[in-house]
Amino acid sequence: MTALVIEHLEKVYTDSYSGDEVVAIGDVSFTVERGEFVSVLGPSGCGKTTVLNTVAGFADPTSGTVSVDGREVSGPGPDRGVVFQGHALFPWKTVLGNVVFGLRMKGVKRREREERGREFLELVGLAGFENRYPHELSGGMRQRLGVARVLANEPAVMLMDEPFASIDAQTRRRLQEDLTRIFEERRPTVFFVTHDIDEAVFLSDRVVVLSPRPSTVQEIVTVDLPRPRTWKAAVDHPGFRETVARINGLLAVDAVRDRDGAGDQESDGSAADVR
Amino acid sequence: MWLRLTRSPAFRTLGPFVPVIALWWVLAESGLFPQAFFVGPDRVVLEFVELLRKGILVGYLGDSLERLAYGVGFGLLIGLPMGFLTALFWRLRKAVWPILLFFQAIADIAWLPIVIVWFGFSLTAVTFVIVYTIVFPLMLSVVSGVEQVPKELIRAARSLGAGRVRVFFEVILPGALPSVATGVRTGLGYGWRALVAAEIIVGTSGIGFMMFDARRVGDVSQVFLGMVVLGVLWYMLDALVLAPFERATVERWGLVRSMEDDR
Repeated sequence: MTALVIEHLEKVYTDSYSGDEVVAIGDVSFTVERGEFVSVLGPSGCGKTTVLNTVAGFADPTSGTVSVDGREVSGPGPDRGVVFQGHALFPWKTVLGNVVFGLRMKGVKRREREERGREFLELVGLAGFENRYPHELSGGMRQRLGVARVLANEPAVMLMDEPFASIDAQTRRRLQEDLTRIFEERRPTVFFVTHDIDEAVFLSDRVVVLSPRPSTVQEIVTVDLPRPRTWKAAVDHPGFRETVARINGLLAVDAVRDRDGAGDQESDGSAADVR
Repeated sequence: MWLRLTRSPAFRTLGPFVPVIALWWVLAESGLFPQAFFVGPDRVVLEFVELLRKGILVGYLGDSLERLAYGVGFGLLIGLPMGFLTALFWRLRKAVWPILLFFQAIADIAWLPIVIVWFGFSLTAVTFVIVYTIVFPLMLSVVSGVEQVPKELIRAARSLGAGRVRVFFEVILPGALPSVATGVRTGLGYGWRALVAAEIIVGTSGIGFMMFDARRVGDVSQVFLGMVVLGVLWYMLDALVLAPFERATVERWGLVRSMEDDR
């Protein structure tokens, strides 16, 4: 069953300063099956975050449609939980308070939501931190909490916007392995945006490679790697290296085109991503 | 021993005033100024005891604080909702902003002549001036507080199923709190000053009235006493209520800021 359908998505911005029209997304179509992990990969400034923001309902498409579980998306909703690069945790709420936020919005009773919250904290390895505040956690732990907060809400799709981009390399490897383990255990539907090829291949069932702006789907690469996955096994796996090399080749062609044409800024209101 | 003393809260609160009072005393005793113009702390303390005994000081103080309470109460009641409405509704904001700046420019005391015409020498007149002084800075700080709430937090709440009303109470209100706390603190400070000014002109009682009336009879020590009382009262209000409240919220906010910086 298909969880997410993106059809002929197009997004045109009007630059408020010069009045020029900027085509961020040319024509993007793809689907994500239920229980599937799909990454969107592309050069910086290709509008992949714009695609995610449109799916999340933070931005309206100029044309085209996004449907989740058969319903067309308009505006943000709890069926599409987002894990942000800047974690966006509520600093005045405890770890537990953050995890149960979505359940509280749904009106789930206190005892039940706290039980579920604890279960998901356990899942991401944050058991025992219930009463801490986000500022007391390390960067990696904050992002685990971000994942738990979304998963506890059981969305139809979990949207992840370069969640590990600002985390140091060693911790990132751990987080990627843990995310894979959680995915294999729970099988949520995941839509993952990244510019890291290794990360995309390691985590995903399929990788959607976008062209530079105005972005179109250049190719959808199926990753044929056995699960459960670990980095140790993946780097030795010829399939892993082959897929990485292939995507690398696809993006290298773009790099040449990129120099001639499109600029290098993410053409989106989310200035936070530029930092 | 010395270390223990310097670290005690009483010392830290009162310590800085010791040289000020000493200097004051030396100046008064030196005979540089005639006694009729400049009295020392000893005379002020005597005056304090005298007025306390007569019950005048307590009565006037009560009057002043009652006016302040009315003014601040209505000021918050009007300023906070107006501030949030202005901050949240873009259209309203565009319409209201120039008016806000216009009225902010008219000093509170500049209103007194017309206020006296309207309300006479009454509590209403004084309250009006205090409310007026508090409302505008409060509104401005609420607007800037709402603007400081990171957009991502609102997005996160929305995509976790919060509607607009829940987003306001769960995200915007706590997020704007530090700036609102600062606004309340500065607003109260303005209100306090406006109160004394209003009492000097409108007053029939109160600390401001006491000071001005003493000037009329030529009793400088009461003027000095009034100034000391104003300072001490404000210091107490600020140190005991406002500063801790602001610190609690701003500190929390500081943590948010540092969280954003280190990503």
